[in-house]
Amino acid sequence: MTRVHTGAAPGGAAPIPSPPRVTATAKRRRRAAGSRWTPYLFLAPAAIYILFFQMIPLVQEFRLSFTRTSLLNPTRNEWVGLDNYAAIFSDAEFQRTLLTTLVYVVISVIGAVGLGLLVALLLNGTFPGRTIARSLITIPWAAPGIAVAMIWIWMLNPQFGILTKLLKAVGIDPGRSGVLDNPDLALFAVLLTTVWQLVPFVSVVLLSALQSVPKELVEAAEVDGAGRWAVFRVVTWQVLRPTVGLVAVLMTIWALRRFEIIWVMTRGGPLGNTRTLVIDLYSQAFESQQLGSAAAIGMVGIAISLIIIIGSRFVARGAGKES
Amino acid sequence: MRLGVSARIVAVLIVLGLATFPIYWMFVTALTPDAQLYSSGVTLFPDLTRLSVFAEVLQNGELVRWLINSFIVAAGTTVLSIGLGIPLAYALSRYRFRGQLVLVLALLFTQMLPEALLVVPLFALFGQFDLLNTLQGLILANTAFALPVVALILKGAIDGVPRELDEAVRVDGGRPITVLGRIIIPLIAPAISAAAVIAFFSAWNEFVFAVTFVFDKTIQPATVGLAGFIGEQNVSTQSIMAASLLFTLPAIIFYMFVQRYVVSGMTSGAVKG
Amino acid sequence: MQARPHHRVKALAALSLFSASALVLAGCSGESGPSAGSEPVTITFAASTFGDPGRGEGLEAMLADYNSSQDIVTVEPASVPFPTFAQTVLTQMGAGSGPDLIRFNMAEFESAAAAGLLEPLTDSIDADELGLIAGPDQYLIKDGERYGVVFENSNYGMFYNADLIPNPPETFEEFVQVAKDLTQGDTYGLAFRQTQAEEAGVWQDIQNFVLGFGGSWTDGDTLTIDSPEVIEGLEAFQMLYDLQVIPQGADAATFRQMFANGLVGMELNNGGYATATTANNPDLNFSVADIPFPVQSQGTLLTPMVMNVHSDHKEAVLDFMTWLLEPAQQSQLQEILGASSVATETERSEASLELYPFLPVLDEMTETGVPQLVLGYGPETPELRTIIVTQVLAALQGQTDMATAMETAQQQAEELVGQ
Repeated sequence: MTRVHTGAAPGGAAPIPSPPRVTATAKRRRRAAGSRWTPYLFLAPAAIYILFFQMIPLVQEFRLSFTRTSLLNPTRNEWVGLDNYAAIFSDAEFQRTLLTTLVYVVISVIGAVGLGLLVALLLNGTFPGRTIARSLITIPWAAPGIAVAMIWIWMLNPQFGILTKLLKAVGIDPGRSGVLDNPDLALFAVLLTTVWQLVPFVSVVLLSALQSVPKELVEAAEVDGAGRWAVFRVVTWQVLRPTVGLVAVLMTIWALRRFEIIWVMTRGGPLGNTRTLVIDLYSQAFESQQLGSAAAIGMVGIAISLIIIIGSRFVARGAGKES
Repeated sequence: MRLGVSARIVAVLIVLGLATFPIYWMFVTALTPDAQLYSSGVTLFPDLTRLSVFAEVLQNGELVRWLINSFIVAAGTTVLSIGLGIPLAYALSRYRFRGQLVLVLALLFTQMLPEALLVVPLFALFGQFDLLNTLQGLILANTAFALPVVALILKGAIDGVPRELDEAVRVDGGRPITVLGRIIIPLIAPAISAAAVIAFFSAWNEFVFAVTFVFDKTIQPATVGLAGFIGEQNVSTQSIMAASLLFTLPAIIFYMFVQRYVVSGMTSGAVKG
Repeated sequence: MQARPHHRVKALAALSLFSASALVLAGCSGESGPSAGSEPVTITFAASTFGDPGRGEGLEAMLADYNSSQDIVTVEPASVPFPTFAQTVLTQMGAGSGPDLIRFNMAEFESAAAAGLLEPLTDSIDADELGLIAGPDQYLIKDGERYGVVFENSNYGMFYNADLIPNPPETFEEFVQVAKDLTQGDTYGLAFRQTQAEEAGVWQDIQNFVLGFGGSWTDGDTLTIDSPEVIEGLEAFQMLYDLQVIPQGADAATFRQMFANGLVGMELNNGGYATATTANNPDLNFSVADIPFPVQSQGTLLTPMVMNVHSDHKEAVLDFMTWLLEPAQQSQLQEILGASSVATETERSEASLELYPFLPVLDEMTETGVPQLVLGYGPETPELRTIIVTQVLAALQGQTDMATAMETAQQQAEELVGQ
């Protein structure tokens, strides 16, 4: 987990005169004025909660991944050791699933975070109608996944959808069976829908983080004649970086388990071109009724998440050293 | 970011246009009669004479109840997540203790399991505690996902509050809880509101737990009700679009409420720097 | 079934109408039946039919009739939406819970029966006494045990727009010709499902082609996916796809609306669809004829109603089921369901025959309809379905030819079932 070394992270109020960089090591060594148990008291309720409702099932799923278990009889587990994992990795289709998942995750995260940042910066300025604009931007996020999938399906309807008509008007023919049934375009359509729904979330979080950018510093830098980009890099970005990091990590983990949009729009088709890990998992669990295989796929997904998190820590450390 | 005001407005309008067009399209589609819907022509503007479609969907009677159920689950999740999340975030930020890294990792772990996998173990767990077919059960299930996110976001926010402010209160003999209430919370108000909105929306839109843990039509949240419009025999596109819009509206109203009242309410007692 | 009036009980029953059965039933055992004067009971009935326009309201009205006819048992529709029906109900049942009475499709029925989730009804239901139609009923008996009773049996016919097609085709060649003639501009001659997003629907649609050309997925024991007849049927399916006489990429929701609006000429669909079409467009002049394929054999959407083995109120469920199987209710149910058949022989009313003169065409198919299963491999049908449909779609997309596709499917299927 990226340790926050720098600055006022999301939501601190602006008018604090202290410099953005706070080396906290010295302060952290001091114990609380209260008892040693204070931290534990504070986190106990939440920790117990999480332990109960998430950790225990997680461990159960881990154990399940080594069994053959039917959805229809989940208490009867036949131990099969690494068979599920072997089956997964020896399946040629799985490699394609992994690749599709990777593409989906990378592009949706970069798209959502990048565009979300731009939108947040845009909405951070002063202009008439600012409050309304900030509310309206949340609309894609407020709509339920099923509704989002359905309106995009309708807009992409091969015979009557407005987007299909638009594409044809600009000379792109998605083929007779439309974008969602086009092996080359389907993933793009699903990504577009995903990013459309995610940008509001990112911009809401980053917007709240931007509130803690010390205005005096920004103004001071500008008065000094620093260009827009320099101001952003030196002041704003330092404040935003931890939050952007957190958002990126969360988005990545979520991308690996995002399911509704793809399932409703293409179900992993056509020809498996939009099949991600979680689609495979769902299919295993509820169509083939194999909870053991599904759990194994879930564990693979978790492993990938971990790799990404650890990898991003290294990247963040490296980037941190530069500035 | 210095951008001319008019240039900014244009950019904002473009962005809003892209963000809201599909929703606008839902509105247009809900109001378009079949004959025009299934034609190669384009109807860009809604036919306002057909607003009765919304009335019909509402008269379905149950939609309002579903929305109330969804609201209860979402509000409950938000309150519980924030209530448990603030102390957790404070502890993670301000203290060094054993198992801290493990806890943070655990928080991240909770986000990695897809609902499809959690459904079966949680169903068994809830069954044992008589939580099935209850809104409380859904609140608990949703909080399990929202709480870690809330905690992570708030931890980052608290990290940004300089410890000198904590010390100021401690030196005066204040206990950690005072620090929390008087200093931290007002200063991280925007983050709390962001976290609250995140918790609310995630519970508002949740489907898998809602459909599996609830048996009674009277308790089902609106996401399940919406799916019910998709029938085996028939799908009325107009009704689904209308119902979807009615479902999206309360979430947006909640967001506006949080932005306007919660933030100002919290910061009104804040330390002005 | 007529219980002695218990006024306090009546009040209790009214109050408990909206609560889960568990709450009310804390002290009630499932042993004594309603007629023995036990405490009020609420049971849940899960059926996708409740979500169908026209049919849903009719079915709910029947439940209300039953509820008001006696004081003990109250039947409530369970809240399970169609898109996630199987997964939701099977998860609940697997965990020892779930609705009391369920309407399944055959694939779900087979899985649930094989997993021991269905209460055997062998001793409770007497087929002869009730007059159950033997043809469809046979599929509900596995290894001598009965696991369900027919709720709805909907045969597949050729729906056609009688205004666009005054004389329905009677041979396959005519069928193709009519489809071609009608396809122009926004109008298409035919429609069927052909995307991975609608895998289950594609499976239903290809059955008619396979059966209509004399093929079958198995011969009872061995898989015959790559048999010549199956390939021939699927090649016919592909031919129509390639001729572009169908709205390619369109989902069923869309093309059924198109049919209701006169933009699609023909559709091979099951009888239950008649009511939905009328609900969509009461003015549509449509009719149903036999599917004009070489062999007179077609699929049927057979949906049994089953009792959950975990139900706490089996007597109550049985009471409701038997009530539903009585002649008066069977007729009423058939009226509501439209052009489908029910568990027993019934007579159509004058009014319904006037509305749908084609009813006898569909009714005559009841005895010979084939459920959409891989016979002999019921519980594996969902996975086999995925294998087969994936290959069919690959052929449609031009990645392979149908014969090779089916050979691949045969191989993968044999691996799956261990043949």
